[in-house]
Formats: sequence, C-alpha cells, structure tokens
Amino acid sequence: MKLKIEFGGGLELLFLNQRTHLIVIPSTVPQGDKNGQPGQPVDINFLVHWLKDNLLKERPELFIENGTVRPGILVLVNDTDWELEGEGGYQLKEDDEIVFISTLHGG
Amino acid sequence: MAPKSCALCQNAKAILRRPKTGQQICKDCFFRVFETEVHNTITEAQLFKPGDRVAIGASGGKDSTVLAYVMKTLNERYQYGLSLFLLSIDEGITGYRDNSLETVKRNQQQYDMPLKILSYDELYGWTMDRVVSTIGKKNNCTFCGVFRRQALDRGAASLCVDHIVTGHNADDIAETVLMNIMRGDIARLGRCTAICTQGEDTIRRSKPFKYAYEKEIVMYAYFKKLDYFSTECIYSPDAYRGHARAFLKDLEAARPSAIIDIIHSGEAFEVKDEVRATQKTQQTCKRCGYMSSNDLCKACSLLEGLERGMSTAAISDKGRRKLEAEGPAPNNLRTIPYFRPPTTVTIEVPAASQ
Amino acid sequence: MSEFCGNPAAETGEALMPTKPKFDRTRTCVKCKTNSGNLVIRHSVYCRDCFTPLITTKFRQALEPHINHVSTGPRRGALKPSGGLLVAFSGGMGSSVLLDLVHRIYCANVGSDELKGGREHPRRSRVWKRIHVCYVKTSDVFPEINDQTAQIREAVARYEGCEFIPVRVQDAFDRSWWERVSGDAASSSAEIPVDLNDGDSEPIAALKAHLRALPTPTATQSTLSTLTRLLLLYTAHSIGASHLVLGTSLTSLSISLISSISQGGGFVVPQAIQEEWISPFVKRTPETTSWSGEVRLIRPLREVSLKECTAWVWWHQLSVVGKQRVPISERTIGSLTKDFIIGLERDYPSTVSTITKTVGKLAPKGKSGMRCVLCELPTQQSVQGWKARTSIHSFADAPSPADVATSLPIYLCYSCQTTLTSKSSRSTTSLNSGSLSTTSAPDAMDLPTWAAARLAFGVGIGEEQSATTSTSTNETRESRQSLIKSLVGEFLLDH
Repeated sequence: MKLKIEFGGGLELLFLNQRTHLIVIPSTVPQGDKNGQPGQPVDINFLVHWLKDNLLKERPELFIENGTVRPGILVLVNDTDWELEGEGGYQLKEDDEIVFISTLHGG
Repeated sequence: MAPKSCALCQNAKAILRRPKTGQQICKDCFFRVFETEVHNTITEAQLFKPGDRVAIGASGGKDSTVLAYVMKTLNERYQYGLSLFLLSIDEGITGYRDNSLETVKRNQQQYDMPLKILSYDELYGWTMDRVVSTIGKKNNCTFCGVFRRQALDRGAASLCVDHIVTGHNADDIAETVLMNIMRGDIARLGRCTAICTQGEDTIRRSKPFKYAYEKEIVMYAYFKKLDYFSTECIYSPDAYRGHARAFLKDLEAARPSAIIDIIHSGEAFEVKDEVRATQKTQQTCKRCGYMSSNDLCKACSLLEGLERGMSTAAISDKGRRKLEAEGPAPNNLRTIPYFRPPTTVTIEVPAASQ
Repeated sequence: MSEFCGNPAAETGEALMPTKPKFDRTRTCVKCKTNSGNLVIRHSVYCRDCFTPLITTKFRQALEPHINHVSTGPRRGALKPSGGLLVAFSGGMGSSVLLDLVHRIYCANVGSDELKGGREHPRRSRVWKRIHVCYVKTSDVFPEINDQTAQIREAVARYEGCEFIPVRVQDAFDRSWWERVSGDAASSSAEIPVDLNDGDSEPIAALKAHLRALPTPTATQSTLSTLTRLLLLYTAHSIGASHLVLGTSLTSLSISLISSISQGGGFVVPQAIQEEWISPFVKRTPETTSWSGEVRLIRPLREVSLKECTAWVWWHQLSVVGKQRVPISERTIGSLTKDFIIGLERDYPSTVSTITKTVGKLAPKGKSGMRCVLCELPTQQSVQGWKARTSIHSFADAPSPADVATSLPIYLCYSCQTTLTSKSSRSTTSLNSGSLSTTSAPDAMDLPTWAAARLAFGVGIGEEQSATTSTSTNETRESRQSLIKSLVGEFLLDH
C-alpha cells in the first residue's frame, strides 16, 4: 500500500535529510518477517521497523527504542494523535499520512 | 602504581574509595569516619538523653544489623547512657521472614541485647501470606507497610521504650523525596527529611543513618564481618525497581554527592503556609486509638476491608467511602486492640511472646 | 522500610505507579464537544481548532497576572508593565513557540482601531512598548558547535516589531560587556581592577579556564545554565526591560526542577519556576512600591507540555532552527534527568505536571543569608556547617574564622558550592576542553564579572564578610585585588 511519511523536529536528518517520503509497503506482514505476525495487516509498529530497515540512514536509537518509537517523538496519523488511534497497533490503510516529529529538537 | 596512603590519616595504605566523598582511605579511618558521622547526626539532632530506652527496628537485613552494631558501639564509646533493645516484626511470610528472624536472633546473641518479636498474626490475625493469597500481589505492600508501622509502635510500647530507631539510610530518604514530588504527596514531602518524627500519640522515631550511604553500610558490614540476611521480599512487585531508585543510582554514578544533595534540598524547603492550612489535621482512630487523619486509621480500614471480604476497598479514599457506604462494620469483626502510648499507666498488649 | 523487604515505598503507599488508559472516554474534543479530537493532552482530547485558543489561554494565564508591578487581581485593569519585554530565544522548540505566541498576542493586529470579534481588545494593544529578543551563543567556546547566529537572526526577523540582541556566553567574563550592562548602579566601572581575571584577560580564555577547573560534566552543564540566565537578566536590566520570558515548557520545567533538587537547590526551587531579580548593584529603598528596575523572569509555557509545543510547531508551520547540544558527556545530572522525565512522560503523563504543581507548593525553609555571588539566588545560612557535619573530609581541626572568611565558598549557595567542589569518581575536569593542560591545576579561578565585581566592592555580601570598605584608593584597590587572588586560589588548593 502507498503511504506518505513525514519527518519533523530534526528526525528528517536521519532519513536522507528529506522531510517527505512517499513509500510503498506490503499490505500484510510477509512470511518470515519478524516484525509482526505473517499474514496479518500491517500496523504502525511494523511501519516503524520497516522505516528503520529501509530508509533510516544512521542512529537508529534516536528513532526506535524497545521495539517501538522512542519516547519524545510525536506521531500523527492523518493529522491525529496516534494515542487516539491505538498507537503502535493502528492498522494502516492505503494513502494514510503518518508524521513523526521529534520533540527533543532543542526545546 | 605505588600504593596510595590514606587521605585521612596519611599513614596506612588506602584500601577503599569512599562512595560518599571519593576519598581513598584505610579501613580504620573508614570505620572511624562512618561512625563519627552517625555520632554527629545523633548529637546535632539531640536525639537521645541518658536513661532513654531505645528500640532498634531489626529485620535481620544489613541496615538494621549495622544499626544495632553502631548504636551499641557509639553508646559505649560516647556514653549515651541508653538501654538498647532489638524489636522485630514477623509479617508471616514463609521462606523469607523466618530466615531473617533467625538472623535477628543471632544478632541478639552477638550484641547481647534483649529481643522482642511481634507478629502480624497475633496483632491483626492475618499473616502476609494470607493477605497476599486474598488480595493478590498488587496492593500487598500498602498493607504490609501500614501494618508494620503500627506493629512497631505497639511492640515498642510493650517494651516501654522512649524511642524507636530505624535503619533508613540516605539512599532511602533521597528516593522518598523524589517519589513524593513525583506523586504529589505534599504532606509527606514536608516530613520525610525530618530526622525525628513524633506524633501526639506515637513514640518518637528517628533515623540515625539519615546521612549514611547504602553502599557504605554494605561496606561497613563487609569489613566488620557482620551477620545479616540479604534478600528482597518475595512479594515485592517485579516492576518496582524501575523508577525512582534506578534514576537515583544513575545520579549517584554521575556525581556521588547527589544523594546527600537531594536530602539537603529536602531539608531546605517546607510546605507553603497557605497549603498547610488545607491539609487534614491529625486525629486518633475511633477504633484503636492510633493516630489517623480520618475517623478510622489506615490499619483499621484495611483490616476491616480484609475481614469483610472487600479487601482492596480501603486503599484509596474513594474505596473507603464505598466501604463506609456499605454500612457499619458488623460487631463480630476482628479488630486491632486499643493502643495507648507508653506514657500512660496501663498498657494493653496483645498476647505477646518472646 | 527498605531493610524489611527491600521496598522503601512500602510505607508510603502504593509501591507501583499505576498506569491509566491514555485518554478518558470518547474521542470527541472536550472543549467544543463537536469535532473529533486530534490530540491527546494528558488524558484530555482536543480538536485542532480548539487547540490554538487552549494554548494562547494557558500562555496568557501564566504571564498576564504578573505584568503589572503591583498585581491588580485577575483580569482587572489594564496591563501596564513598568518596562519593556525581553524574550529569551535559544532556537529550540519552546523558544520558537514562545516567540510565535508573544508576537501573535502582543504584536499582530496591534493598534487596530476596530474590535475584531472580541479577540483584539484595545486594552491589549501596545502592552509592551518595546520587545527585544535575546540569543546567547556558545559556539565561540565549543568548536564542535556551529555558529547559528545568522539563522537565529533570520528566524527572529520574521516577527516584526521584535528587536534582536545577540549575546555571547563569554561576555560573562568580558569587562567591556560588564561596563555596558551594569550601568550607573554598579560602582563606577572604571574602578574594577584591570587584571581582574588572572592571566589572560580575553573573555573566551577566561571562560575556558573557568570550565576547565570544574570537577564534573554536571558542573559544566549547570555553570553554562547559570551564566546564560544571568547574561539574560543583566541584558534585560541594561535595556530597561521589566520582564524576561523564557520558553521553558512544562516538560523542561519538570526536568530543571528535579535536576536542581538533585544538585542541592531545594532552597531556591520556587525561583526555578518564577523569579524576581534585581541587580545587586542597584540601591533601592526596601519600602518602595514603585519599580526600581526589577526584572521578572517568567515562563509562560510552564503549563504547556513539550508534546503540545511540538503540535503547535507542526500545525502552525513554524520552522525551528534547533538548539545545539553542548558537547558534554552524557552522564550529567541534567541529561539523566531529561531522559528519566521524557520516558516518564510517555507512560505517566500526569507525573510531569504533578512535579511542577508539587514544587509550586513549596517555600524555602529558614532565613536567607545573602545572595550567592555566582548565581545571585538566596543562600542559606551555615551551609559550611551542614556539609562538614554530614560528610567528614578531614580529621583536622576546623579552620579558624579568619581562614574561613577569605574562602570563596562562603559567598556561594549550596548548589554553586557543590558545582565547584563535588567530584565524580572519574575525571576531575570537564571533558570538553581541547586545550586541557596536563600540568598543574590553574592557580586562580576566573570568576564571571558580576561575581568579581561584588567581591571587589563588597556589594551585598554582609558587613562581616566584606573584604574592605568600599572607598576607592589605589592602595585599597590593590589589597582588594590581592584578596580576590588569595580567595580563589586558596579555595582551589583545598580541593
């Protein structure tokens, strides 16, 4: 499925210094993938790991911690706080816009 | 590298680095400085006067074992003129408390002090084993803490002591300061760095190890070859060690004085007057006479909850109101015997055994 | 009791911190009750439309009651500050939101004659006669940091009506800067001994020497923070500002409160939230109710969490320059506290606001001695005595009163003393100075200009502690100078 990913608050520096990324990921967890149950619909936790494996260029510990997004990173799903959408367990849909903003950029 | 000489006596070889100050010192100077600091704590706060009867809260763990040893040493060295007793509480935890009680009994022999053991079973009719099997492991620490506090006072009352000393160390107090801030417990925050607490109807309670680092207590026990039992309570929740304690340890690693600096901070502030006015005043429990902020003290509320089968109700204020809304307690419930502090002539004690 | 079961919190109630669900009940905005929510703020749900007024309200509630010199009660009377406004700007998230809000509320649509929908009330037009924005840069002292002044200047220039003042952190050691900002109130600056800073008189070198002499990375971080705060306050004073606002968010505030407490700053912790400062060199009559040049340091974002700041930045499309991290090793009390609180905020969001609320209920215990010469906050009496009792460093007899009177620590608060003397188990110098000398420790410690000036002229340090009277003859000046040298030198030799 197609997704629009945006990074802010300095996170873009870890992702090719590019704020916006249009990506295509599998709609269900592939066989042999350790980031979810194979065959299940992909969720944000899967996406986070996918981003780390495929797009993240350096310093993964600034993005991921303990298998999920590092504390201090605000995640918006279609302009809505991911805490309202089930956080890591939110199941992704076609053309979703996911934004990751670090709150730790100075401040 | 050439052996360094002790920073304090400049004489003997330095064999350890003091966790509190970082100084490299010899064994004898360590003993001396550790003991002298406790002595300074005691004299500065004027904790005791000659003739005082003092009960040492003894668990068999390192803090209380070292406390008993140091109290005895200082009592003799500086002639405090105190009569010292060991007071131990048996919460009724099989496999844990029975082991540490053996240690306390050995301490009694080693330090030649009278020992009194008071059990939850005889006082409340409930062992912690039974409490945990009833309510599970979530709020058991609340029960145990509340029950123990009363138990110590009652045990001390039955010994006619003037004063209880406990082995709370600097790490404990620093951690309590942080936790009270994090939990918004302004009432406790105002009291937790006081070295000596005394309620209207309770026995004075002090912490001579207030400025003693936990690491140094362990080192002292090690070098003096003191006998103690060290293990965590088997009912301790696993997730506990996560928060404030780990943070405190990290701070200590970054700068060892952090522990004492936090205590200093705690002593340097107090609750604002206008906030203090809104706090609950102390009363006495209608059922057992112990100090309380409400009609029923915490222990009586908790016990009532256990007895009436609504065990976790009394933990929170909301729960307690619910408990009260259920109607008054039936008359035949087990209750805690009435508590009178040792200044009165008659003392009612539960059937205690030595 | 810890020794009973290993759990110190057993007596104090719940040993476990309860986790609650992330938000209450429904997904609808709690404010307008109509829109679907976009953001969770500490268990409450808000939609994007209601978010903006929520933040501006919190901002105004934290700032406006303190604008008039004498408070006229909530929402009563016009806002008439005694002087101008200085906005501290670090380039970080909080600063960016702060500047945006200041401009939005006090500059945009100001002076407009019409009432527009009740928001632009004429009462609020031109509250501040002058608004300045101050940036303190550290890049001259740490080669690892790039000079961001140009980007900062550009970011500030986007906001019309805000005048930019760049300051360098080494100005704290610069005599000419001191002459400019201390004004008439300071004893005439021409009297400050020429070589007040021993050795190199260049400010950068002086600051580096000061930092080199510090015993821990924690001390370096705290020192930079103290220097920044005083640079901002003296700048405010020099431009006639009565109010200094910082972009400290709720999150950052909790961090700095816990960090301060962990460094022994319990006595001044109320000032860590909000402070009223006046230059020690200003002579004022105590009974006066009119403004004598006091600067109120206020944190209008103190109720706004970092998460809310982030959402504001994102939804209002602000571009954040970013605050550069000073290259200090990770293990400082400040950075440990930050990691702890940020982690806590995710799982227990109400804990962070509880910290600030609880500290807000505290007051200092006991009387203050004087103001610390380094940080200018109130000191307690007999700090030396407390330290000596609780940690024995030597079995020698106590130093004589005469010796004590000439040692620097008695002019310092507990935190500053700890900063300068408390060691860690590892290195005894800060790790970031490239020009670390491997020979002996510096034999004199450079002090910031405000500290040196106070010591030199005995300003506000008590009759009995004052070195000499403040008459200025050549002879007296020399003896003062040698006193300062002996003062700081002695202090360092002891440790």
